[in-house]
Amino acid sequence: MEAEKPTLHSRRNLNLRFNIPISETHEFWDSLAAGRFVTTRCKACGKVTFPPQADCPDCMSSEHEWVDLGPEAELLTFTYVQITPTSFVDHDPYIVAIGKLKQGVNVLAWLDGGDVTKLKPGAKLRIEIRKEPGAVPYYTFVPTA
Amino acid sequence: MALPLRKVAIVGIGHSKFGKRSDVNLPELAFESIKGAIDDAGIGKEEIQNVTLGSAGGWYEENLPAVVVNEYSGFKGIGTSRVEAACASGSAAVRSAYLSVASGEADVTMALGLEKMTEVDTLTAVELIGRSGSYLWEFENYGMTFPAYYALYAVSHMSRYGTTEEDLARVAVKAHRYASMNPLAQFQKEITLDKALSSQVVSWPLKLYDSCPISDGSAAVILASEERAKKISDTPVWIRGIGFSSDSANLSKRADYVGLKATVDASKAAYSAAKISPRDIDVATCHDCFTIAELMAYEDLGFCGKGEGAKLLRDGQTEIGGKIPVNLDGGLKAKGHPVGATGVSMMVEISKQLRGEAGKRQAPIKKGVGLVHNVGGTGHYCYVTVLSRSN
Repeated sequence: MEAEKPTLHSRRNLNLRFNIPISETHEFWDSLAAGRFVTTRCKACGKVTFPPQADCPDCMSSEHEWVDLGPEAELLTFTYVQITPTSFVDHDPYIVAIGKLKQGVNVLAWLDGGDVTKLKPGAKLRIEIRKEPGAVPYYTFVPTA
Repeated sequence: MALPLRKVAIVGIGHSKFGKRSDVNLPELAFESIKGAIDDAGIGKEEIQNVTLGSAGGWYEENLPAVVVNEYSGFKGIGTSRVEAACASGSAAVRSAYLSVASGEADVTMALGLEKMTEVDTLTAVELIGRSGSYLWEFENYGMTFPAYYALYAVSHMSRYGTTEEDLARVAVKAHRYASMNPLAQFQKEITLDKALSSQVVSWPLKLYDSCPISDGSAAVILASEERAKKISDTPVWIRGIGFSSDSANLSKRADYVGLKATVDASKAAYSAAKISPRDIDVATCHDCFTIAELMAYEDLGFCGKGEGAKLLRDGQTEIGGKIPVNLDGGLKAKGHPVGATGVSMMVEISKQLRGEAGKRQAPIKKGVGLVHNVGGTGHYCYVTVLSRSN
């Protein structure tokens, strides 16, 4: 290995957190809190999008309604993340999966409770909503028993 | 591009040593390649009319890297900008510099690729790259990482086509073998299949030796119009065609996870612009940020059929003496992957190959055609550039 060279450790620390506007899609977060997993459907052309978006990427209409998604899904692919980023260092390693829902949209989320050594694309999953005290609710896949 | 564009050639190349470069700061690292390219072209720096910098940034202290670098190297008042296409930023910079000459705006331009990723700790770099997708839906709650993105593709490819972890490890063994012949590469030692297979799991099925390192490095090319190129260089390397494309930010919106559509689309556009087919290519650099990425690239670029990437590698067809030698500089995997520098580094490597200056790792050049395949993110961006000894 190369010998370490002298460096100047910067004195100014930058801590970035973002205020992400969700006023156009707050129904998604409100519904999660109420135990429902929903997304947007374009009123003009009927396109269902996930993640939810206020403006239709196909016909560009801004008229949308909310529809229920899931909970059944089919596993498309997955990975078992063992080296985690700085802001996840306190987490145990986690499985990230992409599942296909009956409504034709795919969802990326953690897969909880799966035996990673036996997991295969095509496995049956369902979406569950997780609420932790003081945090915004999130959704996860679990294997269908 | 069917416009009546002018012909453009690479007439100067410069390349720093890749690796953990704590011996130089950002503009000093850039200077190594700028000086190298100017010396190689044998022109004065005042002849360069504009500089485009490819750099993703975020892991080094400067927010306006183009002007910092230009000031240090004495490019006073020059027209400049930084372009971003993630790991394809270098190719995006070459495209900008190319268009400036091809359009007639300038006669001589420079594309510089630069990244300094080791000024932050490793897990912070992992975090910054992990945010390279759709933040709120992939990172906020689920902590995606760059290896994890490609691992989603690896699992699907293995499940669909029977590709194995050993097939992936073979890509790493090849990369390290050629890197050991490239003094500018980050890694200088060959590895065994066992060493790759027994390395730490990063994001299953991808292991440490399936992954490119975190790197510092720079590379530069000087481009010139036909008239100027013939005066500057005896060995101009012509840019014959550029294709570029993109795909969804959010990986869940992809149709499948066995190949990169952006690569398929960008390569078709590049082949069409250059009027070539994959069979005409003597030597290529493919974007192997992870081992699975190189196997998918063989397939998506049309070097073999879909699902046959592992066989092409096993048969030795992507080594010197094979049908299409790939990544004879060690690839991203072993040469190193300073994100914004990579695309320009690939242009430097293919220029060396076409000029016959690659030494022990020289590919046989028959048709005089080389390919640069440069992906940004997980197929979020793709640039494919065809280079040739003849115009």
